[in-house]
Amino acid sequence: MATKTFDKETILDLTVNMVPLAIILFFVVAFTFVNPFGFESLTSGLQYTLLIAPFVLLAALTYLSGKAIAGSEKEGTVYAPGQATVPGAKPLHEAEGEETAELEESTDDDAVEAADETA
Amino acid sequence: MEVNGQLALTVLMGVFLIAVAAWLARVEDWRSYTPLAGGGTVGGTAEQYVSEEKPSGVIRWLTTVDHKDIGMLYGAYALVAFAVGGLMVVLMRIELADPSMTLISNTFYNSLLTSHGITMLFLFGTPIIAAFSNYFIPLLIGADDMAFPRINAIAFWLLPPAALLIWAGFFPIPDVIPAQTAWTMYTPLSAGVGSGNQMNAGVDLMLLGLHLSGVSATMGAINFIATIFTERNEKVSWANLDIFSWTILTQSGLILFAFPLLGSAIVMLLLDRNFGTMFFSVDGGAILWQHLFWFFGHPEVYILVLPPMGIVSLVLPRFAGRRLFGFKFVVYSTLAIGVLSFGVWAHHMFATGIDPRLRASFMAVSLAIAIPSAVKTFNWITTMWNGKIRLTTPMLFCIGFVSNFIIGGVTGVFLASIPVDLVLHDTYYVVGHFHYIVMGAIAFAGFAGLYYWFPIYTGRMYQVTLGKWHFWLSMVGTNLTFFAMILLGYGGMPRRYATYLPQFATLHQVATVGALILLVGQIIFVWNFVQSWLEGREVQDGDPWDLADDDLVTAEWTWFERKLETAVTDGGEEETELATDGGQTVDDADAESADDA
Repeated sequence: MATKTFDKETILDLTVNMVPLAIILFFVVAFTFVNPFGFESLTSGLQYTLLIAPFVLLAALTYLSGKAIAGSEKEGTVYAPGQATVPGAKPLHEAEGEETAELEESTDDDAVEAADETA
Repeated sequence: MEVNGQLALTVLMGVFLIAVAAWLARVEDWRSYTPLAGGGTVGGTAEQYVSEEKPSGVIRWLTTVDHKDIGMLYGAYALVAFAVGGLMVVLMRIELADPSMTLISNTFYNSLLTSHGITMLFLFGTPIIAAFSNYFIPLLIGADDMAFPRINAIAFWLLPPAALLIWAGFFPIPDVIPAQTAWTMYTPLSAGVGSGNQMNAGVDLMLLGLHLSGVSATMGAINFIATIFTERNEKVSWANLDIFSWTILTQSGLILFAFPLLGSAIVMLLLDRNFGTMFFSVDGGAILWQHLFWFFGHPEVYILVLPPMGIVSLVLPRFAGRRLFGFKFVVYSTLAIGVLSFGVWAHHMFATGIDPRLRASFMAVSLAIAIPSAVKTFNWITTMWNGKIRLTTPMLFCIGFVSNFIIGGVTGVFLASIPVDLVLHDTYYVVGHFHYIVMGAIAFAGFAGLYYWFPIYTGRMYQVTLGKWHFWLSMVGTNLTFFAMILLGYGGMPRRYATYLPQFATLHQVATVGALILLVGQIIFVWNFVQSWLEGREVQDGDPWDLADDDLVTAEWTWFERKLETAVTDGGEEETELATDGGQTVDDADAESADDA
């Protein structure tokens, strides 16, 4: 189920939170190897806790919110944000489909025009 | 028998109270809006409940539990506070045009400094956001009202006494002077220790007022969390939730964890001041206060900035002719800011001498939190890129927001670095940095919202030219004032002082000129706002911004359109207000629920 919910698209969306996670992870490793102030159990423990706690909490919230959003995308109709209750609003995939079709159509028209001009 | 004067006074007061009670009982049938579980009322049908939901006149505003009315109350309150806080700082800036003490005394300057900060953050910032969220969140998510309408009303009505307590020192009350602790209320100064005058009751009243505003914010936050989780229309899934609601949900979560801590710290401080406890008097007490305060204080920054980011994310795409680029990036980065904001508090304390290992961790998380903010900035810029930009007043304020937020944000990233912070700490650089955010970004987004939704809450359109004057004067004034402050900080000018060395005079004068330009801009805003509300062109179209052309209409505008339509059906313009108040019986179930909202 998890792999179904977290498809490629969702994982791509979640990368935005992976960057700060990576930065925190970088500093965890960096402080392990570069430690000019020495190791002292209480202070160093707090030092790592202050990095690891936000890391874990952010990872957990990202996972839960990703699951909630991707899950509701799978279960129900997706509209543009804030437009679900607007009468006559089209579901997002239809609206996007139309946009793509329009784009393709205009590209085709351009091709025909270009061909005419060449001819 | 001799009639005692005090007894006569008591009887008189009793008669007065009975007269007030009798008058209140006469002006309104109070039982008419006592709702029953079934939706009906005592002694009336459901229709009567709807049509007699609100009394008229002042009583309506004093008793309302309608989220839209409460939103308006929050808005009016916030704008009054903005005017008070603004005039306070104008006085300070005029004083600072000259290096020595000229217009006002140094102690009065300190009082204004303290009250300006607290007023702008707690009495303007949080309430103006609550104004938008109260009015629009239920409309955007298709809810009938807030989850707890009465708690919503109580949360607002705690604010006026909070303001009176915070400003109490300025009133002509014998022996009460205003607090001079700055908004951070650092001990031992705020504990009243030493030979200063901060043991005065004015500081206690300010602390109580601040506590009250925190209780109000917490009640509001619980209400929003409950509303967004449980009251959404069935069509509004998590995937369909708009960006403003996401930011309010995150903000409410931050309030829920941050404000109770401020409340506890304030109670401890009050106990120290009045009951002989020694929470902040013993060794390490000053650092303890700073830890407690900033554990609240830094999330407070994001409490204030996230919803304005939501407003910009909602409004900016409407005038760029396309949907927000990378919508989910904005949602996830909002949540990321929410979590990380609790892990950066000691970057305000780099100069206190805390252990360098702890400082290093706070620096790391402070650098990490810059990413989600930067991501949003790129999303706004990319949304505008090659878009059909319409430079309406709300759009100008959105673009101004992005511009100022970049300067405020980048100057903030430098401060996150320990060595840079040690040089710039407690200088005007910091003042310039955070004013770019609080004035340049947060207030600008507030204005964007006020102009964008002006047709909805007034039924009229503002005057466009005056709106643009307001924007340009605000933009020029903001940048002149706060960029001068950044330069002053580079020069080593310390913050919070009423006097300074003559070498800083020129930049201080530039900042004062900027502040006066801001003042002129805000006078134009008040004029435009009031006059347009009273006499502006009436909006006939439910889509005054032509959002339908690009399929960008959101739920609040369809509610507005229905309101206009039903008002016409009801018998013309005269009864617009009646239609708004009561709503209409509409066959369509969706329309009905939105109407009631």
